[in-house]
Amino acid sequence: MYPAVIDTYDAPTSVQEALQALANGGSNSYFLAGGQSLMQAIKARVISPKCLIDLQKVAELKGIQYEQGAVRIGAMTRYRDIAADERLDGAYQALRDAASHVGDRQVRNRGTIGGSLCWNYIAACMPPTCIGIGASLDLVSKKGKRTLLAEEFLQGPLETARHDDEIVVAVTLPAPSQSSGSAYEKWGLVTDALPVAGVCAFIEVDKDGRCQLARLAVGGLATGPRRAKAGEKALIGVTETDASAISEAAETAAASTETQSDMWADAEYRKKLIGTLAREVITTAFARAARGKHS
Amino acid sequence: MNKEISITINGEVYQHSVPIRLLLVDFIRDVAGLTGTHVGCTFEGVCGACTVHLDGEAVKSCLMLAVQADGRSITTIEGLAVDGKLHPLQKAFNDHHALQCGFCSAGILMNMAEFVKTNRKLTEDEIRGALIGNLCRCTGYAHIVDAIKEVAGTPAQSA
Repeated sequence: MYPAVIDTYDAPTSVQEALQALANGGSNSYFLAGGQSLMQAIKARVISPKCLIDLQKVAELKGIQYEQGAVRIGAMTRYRDIAADERLDGAYQALRDAASHVGDRQVRNRGTIGGSLCWNYIAACMPPTCIGIGASLDLVSKKGKRTLLAEEFLQGPLETARHDDEIVVAVTLPAPSQSSGSAYEKWGLVTDALPVAGVCAFIEVDKDGRCQLARLAVGGLATGPRRAKAGEKALIGVTETDASAISEAAETAAASTETQSDMWADAEYRKKLIGTLAREVITTAFARAARGKHS
Repeated sequence: MNKEISITINGEVYQHSVPIRLLLVDFIRDVAGLTGTHVGCTFEGVCGACTVHLDGEAVKSCLMLAVQADGRSITTIEGLAVDGKLHPLQKAFNDHHALQCGFCSAGILMNMAEFVKTNRKLTEDEIRGALIGNLCRCTGYAHIVDAIKEVAGTPAQSA
């Protein structure tokens, strides 16, 4: 568990400098965000970068900004800071649910949302959470900018749509309706462990408390994080108090999700976990949406 | 391959040319000679024995390169007692018999020294949740939790 030789280390202070360092570094260059996953991969020599570009000094990549309800989270914003930001409550509270239970407090002091999304590990909380709440990612290269939905950006495990010459600068969220809520929950072998399965729900209700928009996203899958659209469809028109309809939608979400068997859970058990987690996060998201509606 | 760096550890500046791949924990132990910071899980980042403060925040020093700490300030277990006076947590660990073999203690103390600054009393659940990143194979944690509970929220921690 020791890194192979690394030829160059850069610590740029702006996005432009980071892109230049990437261009100079050649093909085996990696951006280093919080390093809580990448350093493990480097030490295990899963990857052996020749050039490391440390983003910790790029101030413009850090922090959470709110503008007329829309949210912009810098890619280098740490779990610690997301977990502590009560302004996310309601519509985007799932982010706090997820961030406050990633790893342990030492990991949350370093790990970042952008790092997690770019690594897209199979057992990670940020990927399904960002898909569930409808987040987008802003990417910048020397050629220009583009924006992708999290569900377009995140592909199979350890795969994303990021081009080699791009940097993810921010995760953005649209101004939510007042009557929306989200929640995330995971199940792992021990407290705050890597998720064997994780589910995020986003619910928006109308003035009568009926669900008019639902998103469900599942993590811990060999396919990469995925929406469970059949479950979402089953939630339309459902109210917070209709427990049996919520359970049915959760079961539909689990049944329609392709699961794998591995050393932590076989495929059928994973479906059970997803169904139970889905029911719980849908219920919590409804309650949070309802609180917004009445306030 | 090598880079000239300057890291302040416990108030003392260490300036050295080091390989880029050198881990921060090895800089602390082998270059600075401060062996109170331990390596438990051979660098997998799961045991927390190597926890130090980076500009006041608890981090695992095996999950960072030394070059990343260039220009930063590190506090290790050797820097926790000030002027020969034990940190309140160190005293409480002693009083509560919160260590047996002591291998994990440095990491736990550094993690908790930041955590107890929350300036309020902490519940057992909160303390146990905050200890997730530190493995102890002797104590069963009960005495560790007691020691931390006693210190959290006391005036000495409000600074």
